[in-house]
Amino acid sequence: MLRLRKTGTVDMGRSSGKGKGADGGRPREGGESLAGGHGDWARAWEVSRRKAVAVIDCRQEIPCNPCETACSKGAIRVGEDICALPVSDPEACDGCGRCVAVCPGMAVFLLDRRAGGGMAAVTVPYEMGEEPRAGEEARAVDGEGKELGKGKILKVTAAGGTAATKLVTLEVPEEWALKVRGVRLREIFIEEAEEVEGYRGAGDCIVCRCEEIVRSEVEETAGHGFRSLAALRRASRVGLGYCQGRFCLEPLRRELAEKSGRTVEELGFGSPRPPLRPVRLSRLGGGDVRDT
Amino acid sequence: MSEILSSEVVIIGGGVIGAATAYFLCKEGAEVMVVEAEDLASGASGACDGFVSLQTKMPGSHLKLALESAQLFPSLAEDLEVDIEYNPCGGIMLATSQEQMKELRARAKALKSAGLEVEMLSAAELKEYLPEVGKTVKGGSFCPGDAQVNPISLTLGLAQKAQEMGATILRGCRVENIVVTNNRVREVHTTAGNIHSRRVVCAAGIGSNQIGKMIIVDVPVLPQRGQILVTEQRDPVLKTIVSGAEYLGTKANIPELLPEDEEAARLGLGFTAEQAASGNILLGSTREFVGFDNSTTPEAMNAIARNAMRFLPWVEDLDVIRSFAGLRPCSPDGLPILGTVKGVRGFYLATGHAGDGICLAPITGKLLSELVLDGETSLDIEPFSLYRFK
Ligand SMILES: Cc1cc2nc3c(=O)[nH]c(=O)nc-3n(C[C@H](O)[C@H](O)[C@H](O)COP(=O)(O)OP(=O)(O)OC[C@H]3O[C@@H](n4cnc5c(N)ncnc54)[C@H](O)[C@@H]3O)c2cc1C
Ligand code: SF4
Ligand code: SF4
Repeated sequence: MLRLRKTGTVDMGRSSGKGKGADGGRPREGGESLAGGHGDWARAWEVSRRKAVAVIDCRQEIPCNPCETACSKGAIRVGEDICALPVSDPEACDGCGRCVAVCPGMAVFLLDRRAGGGMAAVTVPYEMGEEPRAGEEARAVDGEGKELGKGKILKVTAAGGTAATKLVTLEVPEEWALKVRGVRLREIFIEEAEEVEGYRGAGDCIVCRCEEIVRSEVEETAGHGFRSLAALRRASRVGLGYCQGRFCLEPLRRELAEKSGRTVEELGFGSPRPPLRPVRLSRLGGGDVRDT
Repeated sequence: MSEILSSEVVIIGGGVIGAATAYFLCKEGAEVMVVEAEDLASGASGACDGFVSLQTKMPGSHLKLALESAQLFPSLAEDLEVDIEYNPCGGIMLATSQEQMKELRARAKALKSAGLEVEMLSAAELKEYLPEVGKTVKGGSFCPGDAQVNPISLTLGLAQKAQEMGATILRGCRVENIVVTNNRVREVHTTAGNIHSRRVVCAAGIGSNQIGKMIIVDVPVLPQRGQILVTEQRDPVLKTIVSGAEYLGTKANIPELLPEDEEAARLGLGFTAEQAASGNILLGSTREFVGFDNSTTPEAMNAIARNAMRFLPWVEDLDVIRSFAGLRPCSPDGLPILGTVKGVRGFYLATGHAGDGICLAPITGKLLSELVLDGETSLDIEPFSLYRFK
């Protein structure tokens, strides 16, 4: 699943968000005060000595509020302006983790320092294919994907949210507790992007995944003077794959509009042909096609 | 449009026939302009199978035309810059009853004496060519000369090559009138302006009747709808093009080979299967006269799917990802209309190819270029004259 990243980097000295006084206070051990507007964090840090609480690291003012909706305790508030940053109330929070699971930006995590001994339990969402298991070791990574170090997996749950999202609780030293944004189970083999051969840069991305057609191919075909979307499809096969163009026709229309100097409306949509979704031939031949 | 357009030859229609005609005319150094109302291959040529089928032709002038055409494909495949996916794979026609077997055997004999290699295969012998066939399949005929081509690439490839040789291609330009004075074509009026020309080729497919009216000639071409299912891509499974005997029955109106099922008969259902180079399997097809309606219908899609499982049971596991329909330009006898029109000098017909236009495109283009430039053709086209209907 592709996730929109609403979090920035986890240099907690600076926060990019401009909402509600998020001017970059950060909690530190050893008596340093948690200055500034991240008051939520300071309180969460304190409360986490007694119970697990949600910590929100949401920085971009985009229209989003599933965290608020997910919380049955009313511990998170985004408010009427859906673009506003969420504010949490650590006292009201019971550490259920639903907000962690639903946040599309992976911007919420749970903090639990009850165990003491300089260690903290951090709960983050996990959506990769591998199965994280309690008792195993995993790498804790920060918001940029940089490895912080290894920690022990204490618990794996599917608390709330979509089925694909698991919540992984990792035991880490308190110093990193606020930096952990994810876990990684595997070694990363490719260290440098340059080493990936044949990678097509963003300028030449795939527009049609089914037929593996890249933007430059479409551009070239469009350059031959085809006028309609249908003609471009016939000439390049773009949009003729398994998905029937459900994913690629929009970028394609824009591309062609640009190339042909016509408006997207003039280009039309091409004639959609049944079936709307791939359907087993036996089904088509046996049942009534209208119910597929 | 302020500039005055002119061209030695104007071709109306950017389908496979117009493109082939442009190609062969340009080869001879003619100045050519192709006028296309929509886009290249937007008509039947962009919505059909790619059978270059010889065993479905009638012995006589029809077969002769097809044989000549088939011979041109290899050199076209060489010459065109676009890969036309030409594949000399041979073709199999399946029979589902002893009566059909008998009919196919008789046809094979006739075709053989007309110079076409055709071999009868028993159900057991089919195994070598085809994965598992349905229980009702009794055998079939195999024609090694049958082939396959990508019809869209063929059309685009011919047009592109013609353009490289100097042809002008006007897309989105509809012919609205043709001016004839003193029994000679003078001017073609289009939505992009008037084109001076003394030679006009009508390759307008189902638009040909409309074009004919402009010079007050009835060109009897009707749209005949054909529907096709497209499956997901698979590794090569079909080595040859495949059809059922009813396909030939509905195509050539042979009573012995028509479908017995009432609905199938109404839809003009005939089994065809071919695997495109992309891996998609095209399953066809129907023959219906429903005017200019080119939508696909649930009834036909059901019927095609059911019929396909009858011949090749394993297709039931394939996902159908798309359907499409094309309108064949159909003459009363299903054969092309080629040649001149009495009383209108400089006007030439290359239309009515019905279900054979892809197969016959190369020879049509060649003959038309001869006719336009020399006034005579290397092959007798009298049997395809407009006047055979009167
Ligand atoms: C389902 C189906 C399967 C088929 N399978 C095969 C097969 O396997 N093998 C085979 O050989 N054949 C097959 N055919 C037949 C083949 O597709 C046609 O015979 C062939 O494409 C006809 O080509 P065309 O150039 O005459 O017509 P078209 O491709 O229809 O081109 C005519 C062009 O003229 C243009 N036009 C019309 N009026 C005007 C105007 N007034 N001004 C400007 N332009 C105009 C149209 O826009 C169109 O682009 C099949 C057809 C169908 C429908
Ligand atoms: S952890 Fe549960 S209770 Fe706490 S803020 Fe998130 S959803 Fe609300
Ligand atoms: S769900 Fe809440 S925390 Fe997550 S991105 Fe949206 S507003 Fe921010």
